[in-house]
Amino acid sequence: MRLAILANTLPGALPIYEEFHRAGYHDLVVILCPVSSRSGARDRAKHAGRLLLKSRRFKSLSLLLKGKVKILRHALDHPRSLERLANLKLDVGLHKTGNIYRQTTIDSFRLGILNAHIGLLPGYRGRSVMEWSVLQGEPAGISVFFIDSGIDTGERILLSEPVDISHCKSLTEAKQYLFSLDAMFYRRAVALLSSNELSWKRNDLSGRRYYVMSKLFNEVTEQLFLLHHPLPLGEGRGEELS
Amino acid sequence: MRPFRNQNREWQMSAREAAILGAVRQRFSDVRDRIAGLTPQAFGEAADYLKRLQQSLSTNDRPDDNTERVPVGSAGHDCIAALCAISLTSAQLHPTIPATDSAQFLELLKECQNDSEKSFRLLAERFSWPPNFSLSTETEIREHVLMRLMVHDRARIEERSIASVDADDLLLKLNLVAVHSRESDDLRFLDALNYYYELLPTNWVPRARHVSLVVSFLGLYARALQCGF
Repeated sequence: MRLAILANTLPGALPIYEEFHRAGYHDLVVILCPVSSRSGARDRAKHAGRLLLKSRRFKSLSLLLKGKVKILRHALDHPRSLERLANLKLDVGLHKTGNIYRQTTIDSFRLGILNAHIGLLPGYRGRSVMEWSVLQGEPAGISVFFIDSGIDTGERILLSEPVDISHCKSLTEAKQYLFSLDAMFYRRAVALLSSNELSWKRNDLSGRRYYVMSKLFNEVTEQLFLLHHPLPLGEGRGEELS
Repeated sequence: MRPFRNQNREWQMSAREAAILGAVRQRFSDVRDRIAGLTPQAFGEAADYLKRLQQSLSTNDRPDDNTERVPVGSAGHDCIAALCAISLTSAQLHPTIPATDSAQFLELLKECQNDSEKSFRLLAERFSWPPNFSLSTETEIREHVLMRLMVHDRARIEERSIASVDADDLLLKLNLVAVHSRESDDLRFLDALNYYYELLPTNWVPRARHVSLVVSFLGLYARALQCGF
């Protein structure tokens, strides 16, 4: 199966690349996408800067030299970008950008583009879904599904599982932890696609679309998180003891 | 807004309810103080209405008091006037007979998403009796209004400024969401109000055709918070 990691930065794509490489997937590339339709040149300059200055730059350089990185000069839905994607004959895309994909981009992948969403679908679509789950007393989790042009409305959900965040010291840490699991969830989802045990759950949109949470409710959510996820005795959260 | 309930994990619900209620109470106090601090003269023809709102909130009106009755919606009701009247009371409100063309109306609303004056007219006309916004037939319309507020309008204000959105259209949507929040336990609607309360300038007097809408937004937000405890 020919895979592509769609990313805005090479360091962002690396953990996913390495997860798949360790699992034996070698037919995969990283496609670096401009952040916006006007940022192509600026993005290329930033990529160059990261290659020189960021940690793991040697790993990034290695991928470049092996021809594993394709840098798009134009927006993803630009005809030239679509032509490049078509020529790559890709089966599945793995979402790691901040972009919203048009249908023409999605159609460039034989099976589609997967997204690792940090909320349990179909219940929690949209933004701040981890926070909303905690506020409403429900488990946090991750869902991997095939994207469509809507917001978390893609019909085919491959995985949707609760994730234990009780070891995290704060909501911010919990969110970062969930994001860090994307590589592993993508790998499991792709393994399912390749197996004879594939079944997907239908995203029936029975849940709700959530939005960015207010400061007021963010504070409540943080309070609830700390209340329900106390650390073991002797461990602090970096707060001064009175 | 019914008190927060969940049938699972009772001990967690108590702590959860207490945390949310504590925040809601504090916010209500803040909103009431903000309203009390507004200068009526700054609101032109809405000055008298603001004074009445300040007075009604200063009496610690409770949800089961009926000190001010709002007549059930009838033909010819003006949406703006109804919102002002509703903001002055914590009495329970009742919707009227539902309209049957929700799907067609939603399409109309989507078509005019770049025409804020038309959007305002459509919403004000359909919800001339604002509690009708809470009818089950209006679910998709509510979701659309919430989405416009929390995606498009919010992004515009945050990326540019409050002056980049049509104040009447924005405030009417916020007012309708606030009326619905009184009746709903869906926290997303209340949180939209929380978010905008934090986002909008503290002493904002908008350049709006209906300046009373910013007053009724604050008043209805206070009532929505009050309904939670």
